[in-house]
Amino acid sequence: MNRFPAAVDSYLDQTLRARARPLLLSFDADWNLVEVRGDTAANGLAGEDARGLVQQLQDLFLGLPLDQSQDLPFVELSDGRHAHVHLIPDGENFHLLLLDARDEHRQTQVQQQMGNEAVLAGIEKSRTLARLRQIKSELEQQRARLEEANALKNALFATLSHEFRTPLTSIFGYLHLLERGLEPNAGQAQALRALRRNASHLFALAENLLEYGRSESGESLLDPAQLDLAQLVADLDAMFQPLAAEKGLALLIEAGAAPPEQAWFDPVKLRQVAINLLSNALRYTPRGYVKARLEWRDQALRLDVADSGLGIDQASRARIFRPFNRGAQHGGRGAGLGLSIVKRLVERMDGRLELDSTPGQGSTFRVSLPPLRAGGLPALPEEAKRRGLSALIVDDDPDVAGLLEVLLDDLGVSTRQAGTAAAALAAVAEAEPDLVLVDVELPGLSGNAAVYQLRSQGFKGGIVTLSANATEEARRAALAAGADYYLTKPLDFAQFARVIQQAGRRD
Amino acid sequence: MTEIARKVCMLGDFGVGKTSLVARYVRNTFSDKYLTTVGVKVDSRQLQLADGAGLKLVIWDIAGKSVIDGANQSYLRGASGLILVADGTREASLRAALGLLMQARELLPDPACVLLVNKLDLIERWEVAPATLAEIRRSLPVFETSALSGDGVEAAFAALGEALRP
Repeated sequence: MNRFPAAVDSYLDQTLRARARPLLLSFDADWNLVEVRGDTAANGLAGEDARGLVQQLQDLFLGLPLDQSQDLPFVELSDGRHAHVHLIPDGENFHLLLLDARDEHRQTQVQQQMGNEAVLAGIEKSRTLARLRQIKSELEQQRARLEEANALKNALFATLSHEFRTPLTSIFGYLHLLERGLEPNAGQAQALRALRRNASHLFALAENLLEYGRSESGESLLDPAQLDLAQLVADLDAMFQPLAAEKGLALLIEAGAAPPEQAWFDPVKLRQVAINLLSNALRYTPRGYVKARLEWRDQALRLDVADSGLGIDQASRARIFRPFNRGAQHGGRGAGLGLSIVKRLVERMDGRLELDSTPGQGSTFRVSLPPLRAGGLPALPEEAKRRGLSALIVDDDPDVAGLLEVLLDDLGVSTRQAGTAAAALAAVAEAEPDLVLVDVELPGLSGNAAVYQLRSQGFKGGIVTLSANATEEARRAALAAGADYYLTKPLDFAQFARVIQQAGRRD
Repeated sequence: MTEIARKVCMLGDFGVGKTSLVARYVRNTFSDKYLTTVGVKVDSRQLQLADGAGLKLVIWDIAGKSVIDGANQSYLRGASGLILVADGTREASLRAALGLLMQARELLPDPACVLLVNKLDLIERWEVAPATLAEIRRSLPVFETSALSGDGVEAAFAALGEALRP
């Protein structure tokens, strides 16, 4: 290669040196600094002490061969400056040449930062768009449901006004006239009382249906009270025997064991469930019998209504619980609301409704209702009690943790407590509980983080997350982290007890 | 007595929190401002192993990338350990970290490795499922970390230190 003229060489040398402010540190093979040359002031080595820099360079070349040329670009030095560091072997010894890279680093950093931030913003943007799409789709589904519910409600109101309220008004009017204008003998008085009782009940039923129409999500309030099982059975008997006799059917309504005093139910709603099931059975049973039994069994109130009627074929089973299903069961008349109301009421009371049916032979409806509230919560099944469930309560609020402890103790569950996510992980590592109850809002790492770590470390027990946040998003986040159940505060104690039972059964 | 030191490299996609993890581990500090790393910054911390022995970790915090290119290859030379870092809120960054491990294993003889899945403080936004980490844990030590709160950070570096025991 032709050499540049001496003047150019000299110019280049000056310019590049001025830009790179080279610093040369020469070492022997044992990293003893032999000499420092170059722009020491610009490199922060104002004379004497190069020990800090030498230590850093020694760390930098840890594990690297010192007898080969090396080039490490953009090394951040301890004072925050950046340099390109070159290792140049020289016989037994070696030199480290540091070339200033501050300006170059600044420019590269700005460009790189812009690029990376653009990518991160792109990720965030597509994530937000996906979230918006999901929200939009949920809103559309919700709107469709609301429109459907609204149409249903309008139809219900129309039906009610014609099929229930008009004749009821008439019945009440004539009852009033009879009661006022007659001086009835004992038998007539009893008949009038029966008429009024039944008309009143029909009216109450109509009111309940109105409520059904009002609230698509079954938000009517429950009214727990002690239940007089014998009285309920007597009322039902008095109400339906005449109808059964008219159709020539055998009707047997009996009471088994009564629920304990502390187990409360909503008597009005329970009565409506029973009335609807019995009405339905009598309506669709042309001959034979209808039997009903109410009793307290296995920590729940059971109502079984069996008939020898038409039965319900498999295809119609889903339909009969929908409102206005007149076509689903053949051979009867009515608004087609009874079973849908039963289903709604049973669900509202957190109960179970089952159906066994053979077309041509009859049907049995089985209702099981847990107590709504108690001086006692629903107790755990005996076998779970024997097994002795254990739970870890993770909540930093001692009052809440204390309350949970009492509730779980009532359910026969032994407890330990932890106040933070880290304490929870340690407690589970020490002794694995059957259940973990965790509050989302913990100091430091959230309850969701604790749940995530438990699951990622293989914890297979039940996890119940508790939070005051009732949004769907919060619920989704908790379940995604690995919780089995998400309960919102304030706690519904009956629901809490059921969840504990179910979570404790997880294997 | 000669000091025992090991070079370890932070590997992971950009923006996963490598620099923040080093800052938390070495200086116990945290800044929520994102500043892209260009080149390399070398830090060190003396570590006491379970048996009482001392070990100096020389930690190379290098620019985040999803593949190992020429520059990173030169940075990786001489490393005994790898700290793979992923961001729990970006599933793709976990795939990138595992991909980087594959590439690094071709350059380094049998490096000690730990996987840090960072940003535990943002758990509500995590895309990485717990079952995924449970699966990875079978072949690689995995730590959920938060450089912000410090959770998991000490434990992760300590585990790597133990794996690098002389």
